[in-house]
Amino acid sequence: MACMKIFTAFISIIMWSNVAFAENSTGIPKRIVSLAPSMTEIMFSLGLGDHIVADTTYCDHPEEAKAKPKIGSMSSPSLEAIVSMKPDIVIMSMDDNPREIYDRLQGLGIRCYVWTARKINDLPQGIRELSAVLQVPEKGNELAAHIEQEIGALAAVRKKTQAERKKVLFIVWPEPLIVAGPGTAIDDALALLGMKNAASAAQTIYPRYSIEEVIRQEPEMLFIGMATGMDMRTVSQGIVKRLSSVPAVRNGAVCYVGEGLYRIGPRIVEGIKELAQCVH
Amino acid sequence: MSSVYSGPILELQNVSFGYPGHGRIVRDLSFSVGNGEFIGLLGANGSGKSTILKLASGMLKPEEGSIGLWNKPVMSYRNKDRAKLLCYFPQHLDVNVPFTVRELVGMGLYPYDIPPKMTVDEAVEMVGLSDKMKSFVTNLSGGERRRVFIAMTLIQGAGLLLLDEPLANLDIKYQIELLRLLRELQRKKEISAVMALHDINAALQFEKVVLIKDGAIIGSGRPESVLSKEMLKQAFDVDVEIMRTQSGGVYVGYGN
Amino acid sequence: MRSLKTGLLLAGALAVVLTALFAGPRFINPFAMTPMDREILLAIRLPRVVVAVLMGMALGASGAVLQGVLRNPLADPYILGISSGASLAAALGMLSGAYIIGKVSVPLAAFIGACLVSVLVGAFGWKRGGVWPERLLLAGIGLNFLFSSVLMLVMSMSSDEGLRRTVLWMFGDLSMADWTLIPSASLLVVLGLGLAMARSRALNALILGDEFAHSLGFAVQRERLFMFAAMALMTSASVSLGGTIGFIGLLMPHIVRFLLGADSTVLVPASAVAGGAFLCLADLLGRSLMPPLELPSGTVTAVIGAPYFLYLLRRKDVLSV
Repeated sequence: MACMKIFTAFISIIMWSNVAFAENSTGIPKRIVSLAPSMTEIMFSLGLGDHIVADTTYCDHPEEAKAKPKIGSMSSPSLEAIVSMKPDIVIMSMDDNPREIYDRLQGLGIRCYVWTARKINDLPQGIRELSAVLQVPEKGNELAAHIEQEIGALAAVRKKTQAERKKVLFIVWPEPLIVAGPGTAIDDALALLGMKNAASAAQTIYPRYSIEEVIRQEPEMLFIGMATGMDMRTVSQGIVKRLSSVPAVRNGAVCYVGEGLYRIGPRIVEGIKELAQCVH
Repeated sequence: MSSVYSGPILELQNVSFGYPGHGRIVRDLSFSVGNGEFIGLLGANGSGKSTILKLASGMLKPEEGSIGLWNKPVMSYRNKDRAKLLCYFPQHLDVNVPFTVRELVGMGLYPYDIPPKMTVDEAVEMVGLSDKMKSFVTNLSGGERRRVFIAMTLIQGAGLLLLDEPLANLDIKYQIELLRLLRELQRKKEISAVMALHDINAALQFEKVVLIKDGAIIGSGRPESVLSKEMLKQAFDVDVEIMRTQSGGVYVGYGN
Repeated sequence: MRSLKTGLLLAGALAVVLTALFAGPRFINPFAMTPMDREILLAIRLPRVVVAVLMGMALGASGAVLQGVLRNPLADPYILGISSGASLAAALGMLSGAYIIGKVSVPLAAFIGACLVSVLVGAFGWKRGGVWPERLLLAGIGLNFLFSSVLMLVMSMSSDEGLRRTVLWMFGDLSMADWTLIPSASLLVVLGLGLAMARSRALNALILGDEFAHSLGFAVQRERLFMFAAMALMTSASVSLGGTIGFIGLLMPHIVRFLLGADSTVLVPASAVAGGAFLCLADLLGRSLMPPLELPSGTVTAVIGAPYFLYLLRRKDVLSV
């Protein structure tokens, strides 16, 4: 939508102005507050774990992130908690945090950075930009290059097995049935591996499908994503049974994958690898 | 006021009215109320009595005709001024909010910037509810509640009272008491009153009875002449007996 | 006796407001504030408490007014569909991502939505020269259903982010309260409250019924319209400040009636005071019970309000239904 584009452009301008300001401050920010689990993970990968003074209650990777002081949830963090942490910079994600938090923190004179990358292909560049702001450009480049390499390798595998254009669906939640649609990292990953996401033309990014719709699509492969703390095999037993007529179920091509693809960050590569393993 | 002005307190001339889509309720009605007159407006349910009172009070606007209050069109008065002259007491008393007796009666003072002479205590005493001053009206019986509203009416001190079935839900003791109270006011302060009734025997108490059927007056005058067998048959579609008591009083018997 | 109770109510309300300022989630000692404490107090807590007080006042007074106008002790500003209309407008604002006017766009949308619904309800409730309680109620309920369904439709078609923000907004989110909206909202609340208080006697008379109100010298339809406008103004301001927070408009008048009586000249301002204090308290609890998690104030008012309402229902003398 045009409004989204204006919004993104606006945010990019803000982002760049933040980067411009970064040149004034000396050295790596010592007190970082993270407002999104994906940001926490990336920053730990950049070696900035010790500089993170607080994160959200949902930040659970890596283990050390769990032990950090918490400032609340992603959608409704405690302003007081953030302010009392005396942060040098607050790292937010456009997808996870509401715009109001950004406005409010800016209004309080706190420096903020908003991560905007959503697609897998934008991840390396996003890491480079974030690491530039956080004054660790070399580490960022290293991480980004590593990710580019891995993704390149996976894509190369796809080129070899060009004939495979399997029709697939990635089920995010079985009941009600919600699948991954366009604009998700999952959709990106599937395309990367040369698969055709049957839901890639949907209207929303996590569309709700009817059983009938799935059966009509006749997916050759079904992926079922893991949800934290739940055994998805048992939870999705019902739905798999009801989909017993689709080729994927008939041929036993139902694959349970972890949550690596749910968070844009370093573990996304593992997530893609998991998908790749299912196919072969 | 009363010594100088000698015309009718209330005058309806050729008044017609109907709610949109409901046909005429009141047709070409004319009657007047003189100073200190008590008039019983008698008719069956649905004959238009309540509507006539609402028209007289200025709540409804007639389609045709005029309504004069102290010789000025009733709707030309400012609301507060009219409230000091005219009080309209509806048929249905429906309060589910716990006002105290004192609070409710006190509302009768609303039209006044300078309070009139009667106090809330006096008004409440006149209706015999002094011991219930702090009670919630929602906790009183139907009859007691009616008396509270009557106290409110008293304190409002209007010269013309329009009462719609004021005796309903009252024990005979309080019916008599209310009529006695009104008579006293009539004597001392020369208030005028129009009371809508459907109890024929009560109508006999009034100097003038106006008999209503289907929104039109079919008889008007002293009760003895208006409340004849034929007239009552026409108004109420019943056969009744008019009896005389030994002391010269009149009452209507229901027959057997 | 009543002035004692009034005094206690005021004192209690003040105590709650002060507690909300200094207490949770971290206690700030007013006599020994660090610069950080001062910053938190002035920049975060104070606007938040002011918003809570304004909203609570608006909703409490609106409830008192509406229960009188509709002659219905179960009336609440949201019964007339104002909350669902405002939510729909706010949701459309959030979901479309349109920040044309910057950060006041959502509150402004909510305010306009609330006002539009009020006008619609008034229009549907209008017949023969005035607004009628029964018609208002029915029109409001009908519009409520309509806007709620459209809202649900819109929400079911929206993205994750928009959905999350809309739901949060609807639960009553005071966590981002700042000074931007406070001046205009205060003006509206003061206007509405002032109008309602100026016409309190008329409200008392309206409660007795149209006939008695007329008899006591009030222009019934005009007074009703004034009351409705005052209520709509206050509720719209409240909704634009912090979303839809329920139970305050419903409960505060009952509690105040129980303590101080049903006279509108006292009931309306006292319900405002009680409402402001109650929402402050709910907000305080919401941010202090499980820090740093913030429970939306609307959730807290519902959790306290609903059981208390059911308790009141059993005490016949309080609800008088």
